[in-house]
This record gives sequence, structure tokens and C-alpha cells, in this order.
Amino acid sequence: MDFKDYYSALGVARDASEDDIRKAYRKLARKYHPDVSKEADADAKMREINEARDVLSDKEKRAAYDQLADHVARGGSPDGHFRPPPPGWDEGFEFHRGPGQGPADHADFSEFFSSIFGGRGNMGGAPRGPYRERGEDHHAAIEISLEDALHGAERQLSLRAQEIDAQGRPHLVNRTLDVKIPAGVRPGQYIRLAGQGLPGHGGEPAGDLYLEVRIAPHRLYRVEGSDLYMTLPVTPTEAALGAHVTVPTPSGGHVDVAIPKGARNGMKLRLKERGLGGKTPGHLYLLIEIALPPASNDAARAAYEALAKATPSFDPRMNLGA
Amino acid sequence: MRAVTTIIESTPLTLGELARAVGAEDQWVVRLVEVEILQVDAPDEPPERWHFRSDALQRALAARRLERDFGANLDTAALILDLQAELRRVRALMHAHGLA
Repeated sequence: MDFKDYYSALGVARDASEDDIRKAYRKLARKYHPDVSKEADADAKMREINEARDVLSDKEKRAAYDQLADHVARGGSPDGHFRPPPPGWDEGFEFHRGPGQGPADHADFSEFFSSIFGGRGNMGGAPRGPYRERGEDHHAAIEISLEDALHGAERQLSLRAQEIDAQGRPHLVNRTLDVKIPAGVRPGQYIRLAGQGLPGHGGEPAGDLYLEVRIAPHRLYRVEGSDLYMTLPVTPTEAALGAHVTVPTPSGGHVDVAIPKGARNGMKLRLKERGLGGKTPGHLYLLIEIALPPASNDAARAAYEALAKATPSFDPRMNLGA
Repeated sequence: MRAVTTIIESTPLTLGELARAVGAEDQWVVRLVEVEILQVDAPDEPPERWHFRSDALQRALAARRLERDFGANLDTAALILDLQAELRRVRALMHAHGLA
């Protein structure tokens, strides 16, 4: 595991003020926001700066991180790699969850972060003696195929999760969960796994795990909410004269589709309720794309010339005014 | 391990469950409804009878991040979320017409 330099991630000096850190974070968060960023690695950068901000904007976490950084700088890792500190390294520090910081924020953070701060946001300020609290909810994402979204499936999910040992210390374990994907699930929906979040304290139940559904890119179909889009190539003859063509459907079958006479490029045909399922099923849209046959032999060339002769007044550039 | 799995659409979240899922107090979620970041089917019903689906969880998480990351107040967050939704709608429309 590599040691992460959170100060350089935000481009600030070790003695940066809280205000410097906030300003640096906001500037970078705008630059790498997934809705506006044109950078190829925007998602990864965003995760990195979120993680750095989480630590450096919290006085207690920052002090503990600085102490660890000093330890590493003094040669704490002779091979150049960072190893998680032994239990008790953070004695004397308390980690409180600040306003707006919740379990949801840590879902994408690195292994390095988890090894240092995993779960401690929940422990700060815990009263001595009997302490009871339900475990926090946790968030992750699951990417499934379009076929799994349509038909439902059971998938195995590997998660790094936190458990509390006999001494009451949190530690990370790898867990495998069997997750049932209901048929008709859509991107952006959440699957809830009861009791699979962070462990509770004092006999209280564990939190829940929320999985955000993402659908992997598909060879033929593009997903928009519950609707599916597919490009349907047709010949100029089919577009001009109309035709019946066979089209594969997402559920694995085939359907006969009527191409209307005079179909244009980009025209949308709707196959009702052939999209993703659920209470109100989405539709499958076919986007017409006219494909030209190559003029690669004498007969094809003659046919194109005959078409030009048969339509002498056809001028596709009429509106250009040239 | 076989986990008990439910999809939020079939078993919507209560106010308390949504608040816990985003690491907030119940009252914060009530504020989201007041500023119309979240819509509920029956806003006149008492909050303990409200129900929330996946889109509400997604918007509540996004509002939480805007508040924390940029110090946005909830009215500003509401405007940003509406603009984001509009941007995504326009991009989807452009895709659908082969323009992007």
C-alpha cells in the first residue's frame, strides 16, 4: 500500500490554514466535477481530492495523519511502502463526525484511508461505560449487465468491510455477499441489504448497505432511465419505399418492425414497453440510420446513375443557397 | 453470505431510514422537502408517514455533498440539482437525436 500525500493531492502546503484547504478543495472539486469536467480521469481525481479533504478538513484526523506522515518520513517504511499502523497508533486522538460527514462519503475512499480512519468517524466522543448505537449505513455501487437488469440475477459482490473484534477494535475483512438483482431494475436505483452496513455497538443492530445500480455499456443498446435506444441501419431502398425488417429485442427474442415509406436518417421508431421492466416498463427506441451500399461493381454504379437520372430535380443542397 | 435484498422501489424508505442512509438528522430531510429538493406523494401528511424512493436517496446524497463541499445552503443546492437534472435531460435528448 502506498502512503498517500493528501497535501499534494490538494496542492497545499503542510501548514495550510483551514481556509486554504477549503479554497483549494472547492477549486479542484469544480474542475473535476463529473458533470462539467472534460478531464479523462475526473472520477479518480474527484475521489482523491474528496479523500484528502475528508482528512485535512478535520482537525483531529489531520493531526493524526500528520503524526503518521512524520513517522513515515523518519523511515517508518524501509521498503518505501506504507503498512497500516498497529492498533493503538491513534491513542490520544478522537475522531468526531463533523456536520455533513456521513458514512455515505467514504464508500469510494482508498484502502489507505480505510486502514487509517475506517469507521473511526463513528467512534469519537463515545462515552465510557455501556455504549449503544446502531451501526451506520454504508454505500457502494454495483455494475450489472443489461441482461441481468432485464431478467434479474444473483451476483456475488466482494466488499471490504469493517468488523469489531473482541477487544472492541475495528478491523477490515473481505466479505463476499450474494446479492439478488430484481428483474426490471434501472440505473440509479438502490438495492438495500439489511444488516450489511457497519456493525452496531452494545448489542445494537448493524446498519444497512445501499448498492447503487449501474448498467455496463452494451453492444447494441444504450440505457436512458427505463428506455433503451438502438441504432437500426436500413438501406436507402428500405428507407425510401418502406420495408419490414427483423430486429433483436433486449429480452432475447426478435420482432418484425415496419419501416415507414420515406423514413429519414435519425427518425425514431418506438417499440412500446420493450425497454426495462418494472411497474411502468420503458420503451425501446430504434434510431434509423441509412447505410449506403458501396458502388463497388458495374451493376451498383449503373444503379446509382439510374437513380440520379430518375430524380433530376432532387437537390439535397437546395437550402444552402449556393 | 446470502443477504436480505430489497429494492427501494418496492419497499420505500421512511423519513428516518432516509436520514440515516445519508448520515443526517430527520429534520434535515424535512427541510429538503420544504425547499422541494425532495417530493413526497402527500406533503400534508405528517412526516412519519412519508415515503422515499431511489431518486430521493440520490438527490439527498447530492444535496448533502453540495452542502458539505461548497457550503451551499439548501435553496442554492435545490437550484443546482434542478440545473443538473436539466443538463442530463438535454444531454439524453441530444444522444437520442444522434447529436452527441
